Amino acid sequence: MADRGSVMVSSGAVGLVPLAVTLVLAILMLLPIGSGVANVTMPHLVMISCFYWLSSRPLLMPYGACAIAGFALDLWLDVPLGLNMVLLLLARLFVLTQLKHFKGRNRLVYWAVFSTMSLGLYIISWVIISIVDGMLWPAKPLALQWLVTAFSYAPVAFVLGRLRRWVF
Amino acid sequence: MQTSRLSSSGMPGRRANRGRERLWLYLVISVSFLTLEAFGPGVPTQIRAYANDVVAPVLYLLERPLRAVQGGLERLAGASDIYAENIEIRGENERLKQWREAALQLGRENERLRQILKVPKREVPPAATARVIGVGGGTFERSVLVGAGSNDGVTRGFPVVDVNGLIGRVLHVGRWTSRVLLVTDLNSRVPVRVERTGALAIAEGQNEGFLRLKFLPRAAKVQVGDRILTSGHGGVFPPDIPVARVSEIASDFIYLEPLGILAKLDYVRIMAYEAVPEVGGLLPGEDPADG
Repeated sequence: MADRGSVMVSSGAVGLVPLAVTLVLAILMLLPIGSGVANVTMPHLVMISCFYWLSSRPLLMPYGACAIAGFALDLWLDVPLGLNMVLLLLARLFVLTQLKHFKGRNRLVYWAVFSTMSLGLYIISWVIISIVDGMLWPAKPLALQWLVTAFSYAPVAFVLGRLRRWVF
Repeated sequence: MQTSRLSSSGMPGRRANRGRERLWLYLVISVSFLTLEAFGPGVPTQIRAYANDVVAPVLYLLERPLRAVQGGLERLAGASDIYAENIEIRGENERLKQWREAALQLGRENERLRQILKVPKREVPPAATARVIGVGGGTFERSVLVGAGSNDGVTRGFPVVDVNGLIGRVLHVGRWTSRVLLVTDLNSRVPVRVERTGALAIAEGQNEGFLRLKFLPRAAKVQVGDRILTSGHGGVFPPDIPVARVSEIASDFIYLEPLGILAKLDYVRIMAYEAVPEVGGLLPGEDPADG
């Protein structure tokens, strides 16, 4: 039986679109939009993209693709290597195990599920970074970024939805 | 039944099992990376620097139209104030001309006195002037990516300034890009002195828009509005670079507002200042005989 990795390959170039779009969004996260310290208010576009593709085309976003996107983001953002890898792998695990509960429901449900998932992932990232750095990190900037990410889900998912209809 | 062979995600069971194996494999890899970051040497900084080089051309490409749009919006927003702004700028220009003359005269005098007293020069030449092409760190780090690297003579640890004051210091150097740790980062500590009184302290980043002044002597007097300059102690930063201004004096902490326009970085200057290690607890150039 064909495995998941080969689903990406057997779909041709189109199969690589989710990963490519996620990597482009990772690069967008580096842009100095608004300010040099905009990283606080920059939504986690990669997390949004992963959730979107996992809930609509899970076979095109396998664990390997999540790991690659997380690895690239860790290198580019200069955060501890492995942090975003873990988060995106857990995001895939969450979506695959919970998809049966919200698949086909309206967009507000997707939004609520994403907000809940991202809250959990941000809490995990706070724990990881505190352990790695050996100190308790302030939670306020993290809470702010979670809020911005949660609110950004709808417009980013809308754009990704248009792209998906256009490509697939 | 077909449904019995499907996993909870609707995938065939065998495929789901393979997926789970891969999940564990990738989780082990990522946890190994994190363990290395926590207890080991971590990922070599050079790998991160080269990763930035890879993405730099794309950032250059995307950053230009972005700046153009931002500039256009700002011009649009400021169009109504142009007349008032013009008058203000003319006045400021006149005042600056007078200051320039005074500064040139003082500079010449200073140079003559230095020659007479055989005092070595303290001017730090710029290594490069570079554009900010990216930000980084997510929530956990305050850093920016600038478009100058080892090819431009940039070295790790070089201080970075903008027109108003200190921005930070170079953390990683790639061939064409460098990452600059901002003074507002939680890991940033800058040895400073209060300009008015000369009291020494440390300006500490908080991952917020402000800094905190720590280790200020109890007897030292500080007022809101006091300028804070680098002291030069530790040899990481040259002395007398403006860092911040005292913005609030609370019961527990003294808060500083950075003078560098961190909220709107465009071009920055990287200074060719090598960090000088302290020897035997003495600061560079300090003579034990001076007491």
